[in-house]
Amino acid sequence: MSYLLSLLIFIPLVGTPFVYLVGRRNKHAGIYLTLGLSVITFLLALYSFWFIYAHSPALGQYALVEKYTWFNFQFIGLDYMVGLDGLSAPLVVLSSLLSILVIIGSRRLIDHHEAEYYALLLLFEGSIMGVFLSLNLIVFYIFWELVLIPMFFFIGVWGGPRRKYAALKFILFTFTGSTIMLLGFLYFYLGMPSPSFDIPTIQAMIQNHQIPVGIEYLPLLASFIGFGVKLPVVPFHTWLPDAHVEAPAPISVLLAGVLLKMGGYGILRISISLFPQASYEYAWVFLVIGAVTMFYGAIVALLATDLKRMIAMTSINHMGFVLLGAYATVATGSPLGVEGAIFQMFTHGLAIGALFMLSGYVHEQAGTREIPLLKGLKVTMPRTAVLLVLGSAAAMGLPPFANFLAEFMIIAAGISAYSILGVTILVPVITSGYFLWFIKRSILSSPEGSATQHDIPKPDALAIASYLVPLVILMIFSYLIIAPSVPVAQFLAHLAGLRGG
Amino acid sequence: MDLLPAAIIILAASSLGIPLFQLLGDKKSKIPAYILIAVLTVSLVLIGANTIWPTTETSFGGLLGSDALGGFFALVTLGMTLMVVVASISYIRNANSPIYYGLLSFTALGMLLLSYSQDLLMLFVSWELMSLPTYALAGYDKKRAQSNEASVKYAIIGAMSSAIILYAISLTYGLTGTTQIIPAVRALASQPFNPLVSVAVILFVAGFGFKMAIVPFHMWIPDVYEGAPTTVSTLFASATKSAGFVAAIRVILAFATVYVLTQNPLFTLANVIAVLAVLTMTLGNVAALTQKSMMRLLAYSSIAQAGYILVGFVAYAYSPLSSTATIGMTGVLFHILNNAIMKGVAFLAAALVLLELKRGDLQAYNGLGKRMPITAFTITIAFLALAGVPPLSGFWSKLLLFLSVINGPFAWLAVAGILNSAFSLGYYGWVIKRLYMDEPESAEKVSEPLAFVIVFAVAVGLIIGLGLFPQIVTNFAPSAVKNIFPG
Repeated sequence: MSYLLSLLIFIPLVGTPFVYLVGRRNKHAGIYLTLGLSVITFLLALYSFWFIYAHSPALGQYALVEKYTWFNFQFIGLDYMVGLDGLSAPLVVLSSLLSILVIIGSRRLIDHHEAEYYALLLLFEGSIMGVFLSLNLIVFYIFWELVLIPMFFFIGVWGGPRRKYAALKFILFTFTGSTIMLLGFLYFYLGMPSPSFDIPTIQAMIQNHQIPVGIEYLPLLASFIGFGVKLPVVPFHTWLPDAHVEAPAPISVLLAGVLLKMGGYGILRISISLFPQASYEYAWVFLVIGAVTMFYGAIVALLATDLKRMIAMTSINHMGFVLLGAYATVATGSPLGVEGAIFQMFTHGLAIGALFMLSGYVHEQAGTREIPLLKGLKVTMPRTAVLLVLGSAAAMGLPPFANFLAEFMIIAAGISAYSILGVTILVPVITSGYFLWFIKRSILSSPEGSATQHDIPKPDALAIASYLVPLVILMIFSYLIIAPSVPVAQFLAHLAGLRGG
Repeated sequence: MDLLPAAIIILAASSLGIPLFQLLGDKKSKIPAYILIAVLTVSLVLIGANTIWPTTETSFGGLLGSDALGGFFALVTLGMTLMVVVASISYIRNANSPIYYGLLSFTALGMLLLSYSQDLLMLFVSWELMSLPTYALAGYDKKRAQSNEASVKYAIIGAMSSAIILYAISLTYGLTGTTQIIPAVRALASQPFNPLVSVAVILFVAGFGFKMAIVPFHMWIPDVYEGAPTTVSTLFASATKSAGFVAAIRVILAFATVYVLTQNPLFTLANVIAVLAVLTMTLGNVAALTQKSMMRLLAYSSIAQAGYILVGFVAYAYSPLSSTATIGMTGVLFHILNNAIMKGVAFLAAALVLLELKRGDLQAYNGLGKRMPITAFTITIAFLALAGVPPLSGFWSKLLLFLSVINGPFAWLAVAGILNSAFSLGYYGWVIKRLYMDEPESAEKVSEPLAFVIVFAVAVGLIIGLGLFPQIVTNFAPSAVKNIFPG
């Protein structure tokens, strides 16, 4: 099936106007149409993942590639090119899975402008698929920017009290970052002996030593600004707490579960693989930034009193792992770091998604998200409490959740790069600290007053449990994600080692 | 066969004929509008055919040449005039409509002739034919003091710019003995360096700069755009502004092909335009951020767009006839087209809000997504395109513009342009926030007349269509770029 990847992108995109039109007449029909299209997308994504798992492409190769000339002008040749490998396949599955869970979770939490909401949800899903699948820098950039527009409206229209501020801050930060990134791409493009925007072509040129190393430094910086804002890394992270806290809970799931992955994906797919020599020289800088981001996220989360803010800061902490893992591979040439980073992106998306969704229910029922004010959830909302404990355990990196494995791999890779990075073992300790403290204060305490609260309904509890089940499965069958990621990691290590040593 | 004279003749006939309806008595008649729509449509078809199957003929003794460059600008300016006329059917309700449409027809004729002018005198005459009716149009709301002020201000500034252009023309004639542009440039190429030519070029920059809305010749823009009837402001921001650019391309860039401004390597035309470009985009964007009125915001953002367009001028002036110059000029043509559509439709949307709500301040736009959904959606698309968000049309033209300078001494210009684009999303996003996230002052739905809806649909279709298929413009543009200085 040669159109498979385009279908992944265009089923949601083409569905957008239809969902809007149907949803305006009949709310429920619109929701079911969205759900149906997302399920189809998810099944196609699963198939494509299986395809990658079964026929793992060789080093530096992509499967299911589609390539059409979009337009040719002077020396600018622009191809619509999509392809899949062990890096993008897990993220495609993650995005389509989270989209379904978010649609299910939105039924109760979104109560106005439903037609617009679900139409934008599909627009978001289609563009995020485009980001993970494009193999052409300009097409990648187009989808990258397209993601911003639905997210801007999600935060600004359906968000909390400070939603407008958060929405503007979000779009200004990310748009500025990505325009700088585009400038870097253009500079790099014109510096190549035979310019191309196609990622596989550029990678082939790098392997043949056809690209002068001197032109890599500025684009590396520019792309890191673009991806660093999304990931986010300290000091480009300040949009994140506002956006995550103000966004409605289902959208926080998409923000943390999918949107942040764009940053990690971009660093692996572009920063490292297209600018490998510059990456190798400055790997220590990125390792330091990654470690600082991990500690910063963990310490700020420790101090947070708002449950959602605590989870948001946990995201910063966990995405720091991704940066650390990615550059540990660049520095050492061992593929372990990148494998861990890809694994971490997948597991973080699910664990944090469950926690954000739960925080939405807690807020809806208890009327507050302030941890000191939440008391005795084990009595008032037992189902929610169980799920919160399980989700926290996943986020802490406690076995049997696969998050443990991902963080273990990354820290091990970090130590093999610079043994001083062993201090990052403290980050999971701090993380466990604040999650356990939260459990002690809000869940295991005795309830105040006799206010009865409705517990989370069973179908929704089941939906949230389905975030966590794959994590347990992946702890046992970790090779499902790791095996396809090995060639990607080896290829990145190979590129970084071309001139480095 | 050259179809250009046919288009000129029918436009001239309608210009002379439409005002006669005033004598028939019905001063609110819509018939003049329908006639002008028909005439403009026929002219557009004729010009389109003429542009697709170009001829080498020249008309009126070499004064006009029907080349691709002229065809492009004639299509842009007349197309935008057509949009303005369609929207005016709903907007100009209580005025002397035959005179209004007659003046619009004259302006259209002027812009058509200007697009094809090959001779400085023809260029000047068409420039005046385009400008004079607009002075009257700016004051068309004769009972509103602001409109009168706009008219007077515009007329004075316009007269000054005409005088400057005329002076530059006379200098050129004195130095070369011809008013034909290309022969004059060829004559200059064979002469030794003469500083008077630089004076002429700088005067041309200043004279055309008033219409193009570049800093420091921009002072009149916000007042006139705000004061004039909004449909007329639309014409200024999209059509006559584009006409200013075609004059600049035909004259200044033709000179730049063979002539350096001074022997001093610092004070070159490319450097001068680069500085103007940065000033224009930065001032436009910074000032737009602080505006409280929609018209003024659009006016300043219009100035900023002129700054982006100048980036392509720099690429051409720096190394004419190179491939980067072709990319830059393709970006220029593309962005002029995009700017005309995006800015034109944004102004028309503002006109509709002004017409229905009787307010032009940004407060009036709060919650417009609930009250006027089509208008709000149109503004959103136009603003996102103006900020250069892909995959809308504005993205491609900016990409080409910045690509043309990024690998050379003007890379800083691309950086400035990109940062300006990011910055501009601040105020565009702020307005979009008002449209969809702020609460409206009243929940009452507001009607959206069919004439406006048609224009909005066409413009949004063009913005998205050109974004998905940019090759429509990029395949055509290089042949137009060759017309600037044919060898």
